[in-house]
Amino acid sequence: MSALRSRLAAIVGDDRILTRTGELRSYEADGLPGYQKRPSLAVFPGTRDETVAVVRVLADTGTPYVARGAGTGLSGGALADDVVLLGLHRLKRIISIDRDNARAVVEPGVVNSRLTAETRRFGLHYAPDPSSQTACTIGGNVAENAGGPHCLKYGVTLNHVLALTVILPDGTVVTLGSPNGEQEGYDLLGAFIGSEGCFGVVLDATVRLTRDPAAIRTLLADFSSVDAAAQAVSAIIASGIVAAALEMMDANTIQAVEASIYAAGYPTDAAAILLIELDGPAAGLEDDVARVIQFCRSAGARDVRVASDPADRARLWQGRKKAFGAMGRISPHLVVQDAVVPRTKLPAVLATIQRIATEHRVNVCNVFHAGDGNLHPNIGYNADDPDEAARVHVAMTEMMQACIDAGGSITGEHGIGLDKLQYMDRLFTAPTLEAMCALRAVFDPDRRSNPGKVIPIHSCSEWRAAPSVRAAAVR
Amino acid sequence: MTSVTHEGVEHIADTIRAARARNEPLRIVGAGTWLDAGHPCADATRLDVSSLTGITRYEPGDLVLSARAGTSLADIAAATREHGQWLALDPLGSADGTIGATVATGSCGPLASAFGTPRDHLLGCEFVTGSGDVVRGGGQVVKNVAGFDLVRLVTGAWGTLGPITEVTVRLRARPEVDRTLAVALDAEPAETLWRWLRESELTPLAAELLSPSLAAALAVGNGTVALIRLGGNETFVRAASDAVGTLGVAHEVPSSVWDRLARAESAAALAVRVSALPSHAESLWQRALELIAVTGGYAHATCARGVVRCVAPTEGADIDMLRTALLRLADGVSIVGERMPAHLWPALPSARSTRDLEARVRTAFDPAHILNSGVLGA
Repeated sequence: MSALRSRLAAIVGDDRILTRTGELRSYEADGLPGYQKRPSLAVFPGTRDETVAVVRVLADTGTPYVARGAGTGLSGGALADDVVLLGLHRLKRIISIDRDNARAVVEPGVVNSRLTAETRRFGLHYAPDPSSQTACTIGGNVAENAGGPHCLKYGVTLNHVLALTVILPDGTVVTLGSPNGEQEGYDLLGAFIGSEGCFGVVLDATVRLTRDPAAIRTLLADFSSVDAAAQAVSAIIASGIVAAALEMMDANTIQAVEASIYAAGYPTDAAAILLIELDGPAAGLEDDVARVIQFCRSAGARDVRVASDPADRARLWQGRKKAFGAMGRISPHLVVQDAVVPRTKLPAVLATIQRIATEHRVNVCNVFHAGDGNLHPNIGYNADDPDEAARVHVAMTEMMQACIDAGGSITGEHGIGLDKLQYMDRLFTAPTLEAMCALRAVFDPDRRSNPGKVIPIHSCSEWRAAPSVRAAAVR
Repeated sequence: MTSVTHEGVEHIADTIRAARARNEPLRIVGAGTWLDAGHPCADATRLDVSSLTGITRYEPGDLVLSARAGTSLADIAAATREHGQWLALDPLGSADGTIGATVATGSCGPLASAFGTPRDHLLGCEFVTGSGDVVRGGGQVVKNVAGFDLVRLVTGAWGTLGPITEVTVRLRARPEVDRTLAVALDAEPAETLWRWLRESELTPLAAELLSPSLAAALAVGNGTVALIRLGGNETFVRAASDAVGTLGVAHEVPSSVWDRLARAESAAALAVRVSALPSHAESLWQRALELIAVTGGYAHATCARGVVRCVAPTEGADIDMLRTALLRLADGVSIVGERMPAHLWPALPSARSTRDLEARVRTAFDPAHILNSGVLGA
């Protein structure tokens, strides 16, 4: 380790390397409680050239590593278990903004909301907006194929990245995708986005910018049952009106938010509220607003109101985006879960989730992207209470199974990381997992880049066959 | 996801395993409308997947549809229209074309301006690898990041990683009003249209620039014509129509013009696309006009995407002349061949830096290199 440390220090400087236990403690966790893994060493390159040099030393020495942005992930994906942690948050240059073609080239450590702030003067923004957008980085967004409330209308990270320069685990630098026009051949860009750091490290990303909408209307609809709210969601989707965002919060979430500093004026006696945003050109927008209000009322909404001004709108959104923070007030730990179900199955699955929560005596708060069926059942608990922690684990497992049984998926935007490994072979067949392993092996044959994530290792035949590789990666 | 394997899929898997054992090349055939698109291919046994037809799952409330790969786009359009929905993908060519081939070739049309290419519509797919393994990537929900993205990988791979046997796509509700306007554009038409698209907030579903030859063939006007498709509620479409009017005198044309555009070309014609940054649309357009001045045929451009497509007759054409014209067209910009005479394919320049990675992907999924050998390079 000291030889490796010296080689890395020669690149980044002594003060950009951490090896002491106390110093490394900051990097033991990401946004998901329940997992703590300590890196063997953390290295923080400050430029692209330093990053390339670091990855090449890691390649040269056969060292496994985990790339990390802001560490806001919610699946344990950025945890380094006694391997090298490669922190990329210092690579935060916005390299260029092309206003004419509505695109920008950025380094991986650029914070999501900063890109939007910097492009606002051109009437543009970066559309994917995960709830962690004030902290999370574009590199992390690419690794996770991040979404957010507004991806219902505008699409996820995959739809907004035009090209990536990446360094593969063997130290080769390649461009995936094409910033200037179409390219024949395999969609390696598409394969890389969402590969959770297992295929390589992003050096720069060419991203699409989206025109700011001329007008925005944010509606708050409150319902006396979750079912009624879900019916309103279905009616809006079926009408062809493409809402910019269509979010649901249940009674537990509303109460947590309203009791916190993020109080948004949500009705505390509602069983569910919908936060609906319509945006676009002014022409025709009011017609859509009127129809959406009608759909909500027909589904049984007690009240529907339109945000009166930008401040009111920001307040309504703050309650939604900070809901996880608000829940953090109530209990020492919070599992923010992530699953997707077909939209017609929302009422049934929500009922099942509630039944599971009651059965295992856990407190579930649902706050989620109803428009695309992306659930976030969250459970606040005390991880230091073994009995409660065990009940939470069982409840979560049953909830995931319920989503799989409904024809859904185990993650819509948080990724597999460590947390969802256990469900992968419930969702995918053995040949499918093998095919994923084969794809990974193209980019990272030694499985050194984010080892042990995404695919349960017993699914990989090559893994089973190569004990030396296995030993190197898990150390 | 539990895997329900269609009997036909097992048959395909058996065929591939047997072919692999014999090192026998296979050419994957659906409806046969594109086939190898003229690629120089070795002799190969046909692997016919056209019997895999039918919509396997369609829940209108989810706006998601699954269909076997051999299902025609026309059948999908008919089934979804009943519920006021559509697959907003309009690849050029006959509507007899299949969804499997559309995805495998990554084909799109003017609607890509607003809705993107097949990669943006595809939620899941089943395919059979060159080892005969049946793989199911993605899923049946509109948002999904579970596992590595095999779905994007096989989209546009021309079957070289395995024949696609089933796909799941995202549908959209059809717009309340769907109106197409034609407007003639004079000087710098591509620049004019691109600038209008950039500055107008009333984004159309499609905005396609047609060369005079194509505009005349479709009988939508004289000279260079922009076809602009507007979708939304009545108030929006009225305002957008007014905005189109700022480009010139606009007149409404029947929506069927889009089908006629898709079917305008003969299956023997050469078709290539050149592309660059959208702000370079005019220079691409001028190059395309230079090409068709030499070769005949027509050009059309999706200005919002910076893509110009050229279609030229090949019957009786001088191949050397075509080659020279193509090289001039491609100089310094991206070019993608769709369909060409076999001996022209090697002339196409390619600047891919990822050839090595791609070759490894191909070997990982088709170790014996028996699938569509010759397509997408050696």
